[in-house]
This record gives sequence, structure tokens and C-alpha cells, in this order.
Amino acid sequence: MTKPIPNSTTSGEGREEGKGKGAKTKPRYGLGCEGSANKLGIGIIAHDPETNQSRILSNIRHTFVSPPGTGFLPKDTAKHHRSFFVRIAQTALREAHLSPRDLDCICYTKGPGMGAPLQSVAVAARTLSLLWDKPLVGVNHCVGHIEMGREITGAENPVVLYVSGGNTQVIAYAEQRYRIFGETLDIAVGNCLDRFARTLEISNDPAPGHNIEMLARKGGKVLLDLPYAVKGMDCSFSGILASADILAGQMREQQARIRKREQKQTNGESGAPNGDATAKQEVIPEGKEKSQGRSEQNEVIITPEDLCFSLQETVFAMLVEITERAMAHVGSNQVLIVGGVGCNERLQEMMGLMAAERGGSVYATDERFCIDNGIMIAHAGLLAYETGFQTPLEESTCTQRFRTDEVHIKWRD
Amino acid sequence: MAAEPPSTAPAACLETIQLEHVPPTYSVNVAVFRDVENAEFLQQQLLSRNTEFEYAFIDATSIISRLQLLSAVYKAITVHSGGNMKTPNIHSEIVWSLSPNNNISEAYRRYGITPTSQHIIVVKILLSPSSFSSPTPTNPQTPSPSTIQSHLLTHVRGRPCPFSDAVLSSFTDWPKVRKYYKLNGVGWLERMKDDEALRRRESEMLVLGSMALRGL
Amino acid sequence: MTTLLSTDHRPPSSAPQPSTPFTPAPPPILTHSPSASTLITQGAEARLYKTTYLLPHLPCALKYRPPKPWRHPILDARLTRQRILAEARILAKCRREGVRVPAVYAVDEGGGWLAMEWVPGAAVRAGLNAHLATGGERDESDAALVSVLRRVAAAVGGLHSVGVVHGDLTTSNMMLAPTPNHQGEEGAGLEGVIVIIDFGLASQSASDEDRAVDLYVLERAFASTHPRAEALFTRVLEAEYGGAFRGAPVVLRKLEEVRLRGRKRSMLG
Repeated sequence: MTKPIPNSTTSGEGREEGKGKGAKTKPRYGLGCEGSANKLGIGIIAHDPETNQSRILSNIRHTFVSPPGTGFLPKDTAKHHRSFFVRIAQTALREAHLSPRDLDCICYTKGPGMGAPLQSVAVAARTLSLLWDKPLVGVNHCVGHIEMGREITGAENPVVLYVSGGNTQVIAYAEQRYRIFGETLDIAVGNCLDRFARTLEISNDPAPGHNIEMLARKGGKVLLDLPYAVKGMDCSFSGILASADILAGQMREQQARIRKREQKQTNGESGAPNGDATAKQEVIPEGKEKSQGRSEQNEVIITPEDLCFSLQETVFAMLVEITERAMAHVGSNQVLIVGGVGCNERLQEMMGLMAAERGGSVYATDERFCIDNGIMIAHAGLLAYETGFQTPLEESTCTQRFRTDEVHIKWRD
Repeated sequence: MAAEPPSTAPAACLETIQLEHVPPTYSVNVAVFRDVENAEFLQQQLLSRNTEFEYAFIDATSIISRLQLLSAVYKAITVHSGGNMKTPNIHSEIVWSLSPNNNISEAYRRYGITPTSQHIIVVKILLSPSSFSSPTPTNPQTPSPSTIQSHLLTHVRGRPCPFSDAVLSSFTDWPKVRKYYKLNGVGWLERMKDDEALRRRESEMLVLGSMALRGL
Repeated sequence: MTTLLSTDHRPPSSAPQPSTPFTPAPPPILTHSPSASTLITQGAEARLYKTTYLLPHLPCALKYRPPKPWRHPILDARLTRQRILAEARILAKCRREGVRVPAVYAVDEGGGWLAMEWVPGAAVRAGLNAHLATGGERDESDAALVSVLRRVAAAVGGLHSVGVVHGDLTTSNMMLAPTPNHQGEEGAGLEGVIVIIDFGLASQSASDEDRAVDLYVLERAFASTHPRAEALFTRVLEAEYGGAFRGAPVVLRKLEEVRLRGRKRSMLG
């Protein structure tokens, strides 16, 4: 071995230089390909069997961003992944300062996720496997998130809240399985937030959930009433989304009314129509308000900020509640949040307060690892590979449905 | 302050009770009179808002047990200390608390004293127990259990008797209670005829539940 | 496996002082109590205290839902209120319909508490554990066991027949209350009336699906706590529950479906 390992993580922060103390066993390298949703990610990880330490050599991601008001469609997303795969793979190798022959295995997301994007990445992974003559390892996307979260945060045996655009699960480990204690009964929480971003027609760049979080920080003057749907350790979000959409509709009508009113007044005063009334201008000066009809007097002005705030407060409270119930059930006081929604700092804060009350703490990662990425697939795949697991070419399929608890977690006690 | 009923001392017709989970500033004083002759006069004092008669005068025929009455008192104190009273004072709040519904005037008619009431239960809530033992010189008018007792003995023309389940159950008008608390449709309760004590206890539990969930 | 990327580890946000024992302050309602209150259980969202109601000789169970600091105060108050009320209503409904559950003494939905009748006796779980401690798999020859399992199945059937599903049926949530005939007999074993408790997750529902899931949850909980009587319980449940009310056979057929698919459905990624 003795190839000096360059430090080229995506963060650019390298440390623990030079471990070339004549180790007898060569580190293992895994390349992971992720494309179950709109992110294409390829990452390379090294596991050092001597030191039991892992090291991120590269973690490259490219996101398919759809225009405001739209979601990403499977067909377009798959096309995006196909178009970018070679570029991203080359960058990942280059940043890792590795050549294909150094790799031990090619890991790819077997599921769950959207069919077409999963397929395009599985085909690409198969191609790499044949091209470079490396074994394939199919990885459960959710297990990838959990293992990477544990690795990054050092949480030993936490209750895991996995929250993303496709999944909402409360998970705890027992006897070599990640067992699902609670989950959504309809849509995922991230899907609820993404779709509400579409309703508000706010940008999907860098991510709709991020933009909702930014708006929510400016809201909070009122908490709008939304349904709260928790059943035991399960929850549901479609009813909340429908109610939030209705409120957004009322907001638009309200804005139109206010614009009309202002226009009338402006016309009366100067004759110039006020063409660009926006949501920001809805606070009506008191004098004007008084001149309006009674029906407008006590009207609560709905703003996108308050809508986002109320939506977040409601759905996050549900998530923290089901997580707390699972923690009480298994007697744990650690909680690990993974998945794209896990980046949300308000969710992390609420979870932290809950865990602190139970005498424990919350573990979370930042967007490099919370959001879908290749390194988590590489890491979980390499863990499985080290136990002797491989996916033969003829079985290297992918599947939209693949439950977290189906995977035998052979690498844990 | 003693929670034990002083039923052994017939001379004292007023029982003072310190309820659990209630601020110690509240003390509950209860007296029971049978064969009352001046119910109309007593009700008139309430209607004319005579401040000397600030009591809860309850028609004993609607009452089945100490527990039922004290539950109403407890609820009234909770509402009073929370500042959420919906009736003029804590004593009218007690009468309303006996009701399983939100209709206040109906509660007065059903549970409060009427001109034809024969047996009555009187409740007086005192605030600040420090004034019990010795009325302060600055305010000698502060009521105490003994001033209440003498006031009641002066104005209620009836025979004082102990506030006990035995006495209360002898007054209970069951058809009325069953009607007020909607116990008539409860088949399993009606089938309990052979065990009167059990039936009474089960009825009491249903009555307490109805009162606790009033309007909820 | 530890990581080299130590700065990637986000330290626990709002990390508490380690090893602080978690001893909650009693709810405001209990601060005026002249007699002691004991914390019995502490669930995820409610605490159960044993205390007294009105007078020192009347024991009661006080369920308290403390405020959750992480929840928006308006939402928190709304949920606490709704849940206390829902539980109290369900208890009162069951009691009125003749299903043995704790009677409601007092409700303060704003204060987040509910005072109930204290149910004496031991949990069914403890009785079964003692009974099953020795010996192997049980069958119909164990008359005392069959009798208690029948009563359990009948109690659940009774609950369902009045339109209530419990949401968290386990043998810990059922008490063996002494009957007047067996009053005070120590170690009465499996004697007693089944009283179902803890309706914190209960709801009013008459749907076959909800009822079947309720049974399934009980069946799973039973299997994991009392494996030696698992098969027997299934047989007794099917026989006894089936006759509990008119729609019960349909629920049992639904239960077979639920058993096959599990409580959870397969999910889309």
C-alpha cells in the first residue's frame, strides 16, 4: 500500500495527515453512487482496518433543480443523472487521487427511491463494475443515511429519525436490524414541505426545504391552525399539506383584495395604479385600515412567512413527539437525525430541547451528509462488503420499495 | 382543619374540611339541616343578594354522597383560584358544579334550594384560615366557623344533622338523580338491583364523571 | 469504527449536563397536597402519580401532561387540552357503557391533568409472568390461565363493542382488580376483574381496521412478553372475542389480513 492519502474532502478540511507508520493491512476503498432522487452523488471512502477509522476522500454532488412551482419528474431527473454521471465520477476519483484499480468495490443505491433515477445510476454502477472489474454492492438508501450519521457524529446506539423527501421513519437498532418503530402513513415530511414550496412558488434552489426554513425564521407573529396528525408512533402529513394549501389560497385572495383596495386609493389620490403590491406590503397603515369595511377590521393578515413558520412548527412537533415516544419505548436518550430535512436547524433545536429534557442529546449532521450523497452509499456498502457481502451482476437490480428493516446489519453486534 | 368528620359531636353542626390539592387558604364548611321550614326565606335571601347569606344552599334530594358534594366544591375552588368563574361567586359556582351541563339557571333550579326544599346542605367557603381561631381586632366581622354556625342556627329553621353518607343517602331522591344525570338508559346499572351498595357506588362514579366533564 | 473527521461531528446542540438524573418537578396541582404523591410511571408525554382525591382516604391516579418546551406554546396548550379531554371523554363513555375502566374524578384540561379512580391490584403482565415462570408451553389444560385469557379477550371485546379502540393494548395496560369475593386475598394469582387502563392513545372508532390493528398490537405485545402462552392466547382470543359483539367475526377476519401484512405497509422511497 503506502499510497499517501490526500485530503480532499468536499469541505476541503483535511486532517490526521500521514498515518504511514508501516501498517500491514491496506485500507479498503469504496466508491458509492447515489441517485434515488434529484441528487446525483458519488463519493469515495477509505476504511483502515488497522485503526478502524474511516476517511472521506471525496464526496461530489450535483442536484437537479426544477423551476419554482414545479417538482422534479422521474424522466427529467434520470436524464440529469445520466448526463452528469461520468463527470461526477471522474471528479470524485480525481479529488480522491485514486485510480479505478485502487477501489475495492462499487456501491450503488438499490432503493428505495424513484424508479427511473435509480435505474440510470444502477446501470452506470454496473458499467463501472464491468469496466473496472470490481464487485458491486447494492445498498439500502436509508441504511446509508443511518450508518453515515453514526459515523460522522459518533452516536453509538441512537434512536434515528430519518426524514427526507421520500421517507419519514423513527428507527431503533435491535439484533442486527434497523427496526422501524414509527413512520408516515402517507407522504414523507420532506415531500410535504417541498410541495408546499411549490404552492408558494418559491425557489427550489438550493432546496425548497431550505427556502421554507429561511421564510419561517422571519415569521412567527402568529401560529396558524393546522391539523396535527400523530397516531402512536406513526404520523401523517397529507392532511396538513391540504390545509396549508387552503390557507395559502386564502392568502392570495387576501393579497388580491388588499391590492385592489390600495389601487383604488392610489387612483383616488394620484391616479397612478400601484402595480407591484407584494406580500410584504400587506401591513396596512392604520388610517387606511379604518376606512375599509368592517369585515376587514379584524382580519388576520396571512403571510408566506407565517405560513412556513406554522407548517414547520406543526410538522416538526409531530416528528419530535414520535421520536420521544420511541426513545421512551427503547429506553434511549440519544437521537440521531438523518435525511435532507435533518439539516433544518429549527428541527434540530426542538429535538435538542426534547433530548435534553430526557437527559440526553441530539446528533445531527450538516448538509454534506444530511442531504443525499455518494459517500454514505460508499460507507454503508463498504461495511457490508467487509462482512463478505456482494451483489452479483445478475441481481444488481434496483427497487422503489425497499424497507430499512429488510437489511441484515451483519456489521453490528 | 380536621379532615375527619366530627360526627361524634352532635353539638357542632358545622364540619370544616380541608380538601386535598387545594390552596390552604380555602377552607370548606358544611352543614346539613333536615325538615327545614323556612326554605322560601333562605332562597329569598339568595335572590335578593343579601351578603349576609353568601352560602351555597343545596337541595339535599339531588345529592347522593359526600364525595359528590365535595367534588363540586373542589371544582368551584379550582375555578375560583384560576379566576375563571362564570357565576357571581364561589358559592353559586358550587351549585353549578353539581350539574352535568352548562345551563346555569337550570342548575340553580335542580340543585339549589327551592321554596319547597325540605332537607338542605349548606356550604360556606372561607378564605384565609389564619382568621379562624381569632378574629383580628381590626376586623372582628371576619366570619369564622363558629360565627357561621351561630348564623346558620339562628336563621335556618331545621334540625342540624351530620354531613355523612348515611344521612345524605336517606335524603336522596333517586328518580330525580337518575333523571338529572341521565342514568335511566344505563342498562347494566338497572340490572344491579340485587346489590344496592354496589349499584349506589357505580352510580356515584357515573355522577362524578358527568360533573367532571360538564360541558366538555 | 471512529472517525477522523472530528470537526464533522456536530456537538450535541443544547447538550445537557451529563449524568443529571431526570427528576421532574410535580405538577402545580400537587403542590398543595397535604398528603404525599408518588410518581408511578413516566411515559413519553404523561406522568402518572398516585395521590388522593378530596380526602386522605380516597386514593386516586393523577395523569399529568407537562408542557413540552420544544413545542410552540399555543400548539402545546391546544394538544394538551385536546388529549386530556379525549382521554377523559373516552373513560367516561366506557364507564357509562359498563366497560371496566377507571372512573373520572376531575379534569383540568388547561392545567393538563386528569384525576381518576385508583385501580387496586396487579397488572395482568405481572400475574402472567408469575404464573408462567415455570414450565413450558401452555395449552387448554391450564384452567386458571385459560380463564384469565378469556377475561382479557372479553374485556377487549367489550371495549371495542362500545366504539373505543385503545391504541396501546398490552398486558401492562390491564389490571387484575380484586373482586368483592377475592378482596384482599394476597397472591390471588390470576383472579380478579380485568380493568383496562391508560387510554392516552385511545380513540373513538368502530372501524374493523382499527379494531383489528388494536388486536394485532395486543397479540404482538403478548407474544413478546408471554411467549409460553402465545399460541393459547391466539386461540382463546379468537374464540372469546368472536362472541363479544355483532361485528367481531368480521374484525377477526380483518386481523388475519393485518397479520399477513404487518401493521406497516411497504413504502415508496
